[in-house]
Amino acid sequence: MAGRTIVVTSGKGGVGKTTTVANIGTALAKKKHSVVLIDGDIGLRNLDVVMGLENRIVYNLVDIIEGRCRKEQAMIRDRKLGNLCVIPSAQTRDKDSVQPEQMKGLCEELAKEFDYVFIDCPAGIEHGFKNAIAGAQLAIVVTTPEVSAIRDADRVIGLLEASMLRDVHLIVNRLNDRMVKKGDMMSTEDIVSLLAIPLLGIVPESEDVVVSTNRGVPLVHDRNSRAGTAFQGIAARLNGEDVPHSDGKEVGFRDFFRKLFSGQ
Amino acid sequence: MLKAIKRFFGDRPSGQEAKKRMQFVLMHDRLDLTPDMMEALKNDILTVLSRYMEIDTDTIKVDFEQGKEYTALVSNVQVKRVHRRTECTR
Repeated sequence: MAGRTIVVTSGKGGVGKTTTVANIGTALAKKKHSVVLIDGDIGLRNLDVVMGLENRIVYNLVDIIEGRCRKEQAMIRDRKLGNLCVIPSAQTRDKDSVQPEQMKGLCEELAKEFDYVFIDCPAGIEHGFKNAIAGAQLAIVVTTPEVSAIRDADRVIGLLEASMLRDVHLIVNRLNDRMVKKGDMMSTEDIVSLLAIPLLGIVPESEDVVVSTNRGVPLVHDRNSRAGTAFQGIAARLNGEDVPHSDGKEVGFRDFFRKLFSGQ
Repeated sequence: MLKAIKRFFGDRPSGQEAKKRMQFVLMHDRLDLTPDMMEALKNDILTVLSRYMEIDTDTIKVDFEQGKEYTALVSNVQVKRVHRRTECTR
């Protein structure tokens, strides 16, 4: 059976697309699925550093597309997981080096070999965006609880629907539960009602994310990270498992005991 | 403390304000209506209404309202007098 091709997009930059791709991909690979991650941001290569693979790049996405190498030569295998690969983007080329039809062809070929193909979409809604979504069957839209990110997410959702990509899911990233409680941040319910697409997951705001990208080791390897656990939940849901949403609430001592005794 | 006092005097939490603003912004983004189109729409509504009644053209307001499952167009205008059937000009 062919694998699933998933694009992670957002419109606005800096909301956590690359972190999301790295973590969901790694989490699925840890569950023994074969996974390939494509950095779709031509000219602004990032996924390789987040994954800690920047020293091992020989060929890149544009080399595959232009036939300078076989696709296997450009895939970098993860340091810990043998069933996880990254195709880095080209750093010195511009976005017009690739056409949507070519991306579609590559995704189709990869889906024959892998269970999951993830595409890290560049920010914006121009050529790079069209390339990144061309071969995808499912789209994940990442937003943060800020007005600018939500507005751009809504625009992207409209464009995805116009491109006949109807299977669109939402991740709310960097939710700060303390601020939501104070009423100074839009809640997940607020954001879901505004954007009107199904919720795939909520990732709490966390300093762990910076630490993990500093080291180039995805968060899902760290068992004690709340953000890491959230990404694992998202990966499980993508895989068809029924995992309840945790809304990023800190689990206090009292909650812990209440849960323990109510048997939840 | 200052915040608590502000809240007491009816300053609503910024999260709610953001939601309200986004409802309005997204509705307009999705409809993609330019001010020119809004003006034309307003004039067309006036033309149709004046076939049936005498209206105060300066009072017309056209707004969009976002419900949970729908977007509604709400227009308010003052009616001065309804034409009798014989006066109805088609």
